[in-house]
Amino acid sequence: MPKISVIIATRNRCYLLPRAIESARLAGGGVEIIVVDDASEDETPSVCATLTDIRYIRTSRQLGVGGARNVGLLSSTAPYISFLDDDDARLPGSFDKQIDALEAAPEAGMIYGRAFYGDEKPSDDFYPEHCPTGDLFWELLRWNFIPCPTVVFRRSCLTRAGILEEDLAGVEDWDLCVRIAELYSTIATDEPVAIWRRPSQSSGQFTSESEKLHQHAHRVHKERWLRLPRAVAASPAERRALQRDFAARASQQLVWEAASNLKARHLPRFARVAFAGARMYPVGVGKKFLAFLTSRLGTETVERT
Amino acid sequence: MPRVSVIIPTFDRPSLLPRAVESAMRAGTDVEVIVVDDASIDSTANVCSRLRGIKYIRLDRNQGVAGARNIGLLESTADFIAFLDDDDLRLPGSLDHQLSLFETLPEAGFVAGGVLLGDQHCAPTGKTALVRAERGDLFWKILELSVHLIPSSIVVRKSCFQEVGLFNRQLAGIDDWDLWTRIAEQRPVLIDPAPVCIYRSATPSSKQGSSSLARHLLAAANHQPKLFSLSRVRTAPSAQRRAVRKMTRRRIADTLSWRAAEELPNGAFRFAASNFVTALRLSPAWAMRPTHLQVFWRSTKARFS
Repeated sequence: MPKISVIIATRNRCYLLPRAIESARLAGGGVEIIVVDDASEDETPSVCATLTDIRYIRTSRQLGVGGARNVGLLSSTAPYISFLDDDDARLPGSFDKQIDALEAAPEAGMIYGRAFYGDEKPSDDFYPEHCPTGDLFWELLRWNFIPCPTVVFRRSCLTRAGILEEDLAGVEDWDLCVRIAELYSTIATDEPVAIWRRPSQSSGQFTSESEKLHQHAHRVHKERWLRLPRAVAASPAERRALQRDFAARASQQLVWEAASNLKARHLPRFARVAFAGARMYPVGVGKKFLAFLTSRLGTETVERT
Repeated sequence: MPRVSVIIPTFDRPSLLPRAVESAMRAGTDVEVIVVDDASIDSTANVCSRLRGIKYIRLDRNQGVAGARNIGLLESTADFIAFLDDDDLRLPGSLDHQLSLFETLPEAGFVAGGVLLGDQHCAPTGKTALVRAERGDLFWKILELSVHLIPSSIVVRKSCFQEVGLFNRQLAGIDDWDLWTRIAEQRPVLIDPAPVCIYRSATPSSKQGSSSLARHLLAAANHQPKLFSLSRVRTAPSAQRRAVRKMTRRRIADTLSWRAAEELPNGAFRFAASNFVTALRLSPAWAMRPTHLQVFWRSTKARFS
C-alpha cells in the first residue's frame, strides 16, 4: 500500500517530465507516481513508456490542469496526495518529513513548505518568507503564499472539502487551499521542500499573463471565496477589509511588474499591466503614483538648488 | 473486489434514501453501495448510521449532485459504476443483467436501460420512458438530445472517466448529459430496453431538481456550443453542426410543449407558460406549429370542462 500519491499533470513537456518524476521518487518511501498526460501532442506517450514504476493515464482530450489532476485523483490509492507540476521538482526526503508531521497532527488537513525559485538549477531565493500555520482561512483570502508543489493533502480532507474545480484555470490550487483551510487547520515545514520554476515572459506558462490571472483571481475571490459559509458569517466590514487587502496586494504586484516592464522597455505590456493594476485598486495605485511624482519633483528641486 | 459500485448522492431525503439503498443492494451480486451525503442538514446522517453494508461519506460542504457523484467515484473500487438518485429505485437483478450486456460489446463506454415511470411514492404508473434498443456510435444522437438518458438507468465503465474527465460541477442539472456526450464521442454505447429502474417523475410542485425542466433544457441548449469543441464535431462539416443545432432546438421545443400540455389539465399554468416561452425563444416557428397549438388548446379545454 503506497503512502502518498503524487499526481503529475503534464502537457507537451516531455523534456521536463522525467526530472519531475525522478525527484518525486526520491522524495520519500512508498510513493505512487501517477502521470496524467493531458492529451499531449508531443513525445510524452513514448517518453512515459520508457519509465518504469509509474501509473500512466492519458486523457483523450485536453481537460486543463484541474481536470487532469482530478482524473489522477480517481486512480490514486494512498491516504496522502501531492500535486506536482511537470516543470517543478521535489527535494529528496521531503515527502517523508511532511507525512511524519501530518501524522503527528491529526487535526490538520494539509501541510506546505518553502520552495526554491529555480530555472534549471535552484537559486538561493525561496518563497514564502514566513510560513504561518494554524487557521489560515483569512490569510489565504488576502494572498496566496502557498506554492502548490510544496503541499501534501490528506486525501480524506480533500474529498470532504471537494476536489479541484475545473473551470478555475490558474487559481485552482489556491481555491483548493482556501476551501480546505476553511474547514481544517494547516501546518508547515520551515525548510524548503521543492523547486519551483519561476514563470517568465517566454516560458509559456499560464502565469506569464499575470494581469489576466490577477483579474481572474479577483473575480473568484468575490464570487466564490467570499460566499463560503465562514466568510458569509463574517461582518460586512470584515468582508470589505478582506476585499481591500486582496485588491491592494494584487495591484501592488501588478505595479511592481509594470515597473519592471517599463525598465525593460516593453511599453505595450507596461500599459496593459499598469492599467489592470490601476483598475483593481485605484486608490492605492494613485497614491503610489503621487509618491513617485513627489519623489521625482523632490530630487529635481534638490538638483536645481 | 466488488463488481459494480452504486453511487447514491443524497441531500435531505432521509425518508426516501433507505429504500433506494435497499433496492441497489438487491440489484446485483457483489454490489458496493456508496452513499454520498451532500452535507445534509437533517437526520440523513442518523439514518445512514443504521444502514448496514454501505460506504457512507459525508461531505463538509454542499457540492451539488455532480460534485457528490465525483466524490463517490473517488471512493469506488469496482470497475463498473452505476449512479442512483436517492429518490429512484433499481429493479432486482438489473445490475447483473446490465453487466452481462457489457460482455456482448466489450468496448462499450456505458450501458443504458429502460425506465419505469413512478408516481411521487415511486409506485409504477404503468408508463415507461420511451427507450429504443440501440448500439454502437450514438454520439450525434446524444449530442442533439434525440436519446434521453436517465442517470439511474446507466452503468458506466470506470476507465471512461480517465479518458474524458469527471462530472462538471458548474453544469447543475445537465452535468450527466455533458458526461454521456463526452463518453459517447470516444466509445460505442449500448441501450437495452429492458426496464432497470423506477424513476420518480417530477411534477411542477414536487421540488425535485428536474421540475425546473425549462431552465435545464435551456441550459443544455446554451451549453451545447461548448460541446462543439469536441474533436469529432470540430472536424465535421459546418452544415452538420448547424443541423445538430436546429434539431436540438426543435427537440427541446417538442419536449417542453408536450410536458406543458400534459400538466395543463392539472392546472399548472405557470409551468406551462414558462415551458411555452422557452420553446418560443429556442425555436419560434417550431413552437407555433398548428399541431402544438392544437394540443395546448385541447389540454386547456380539458382543464375547464
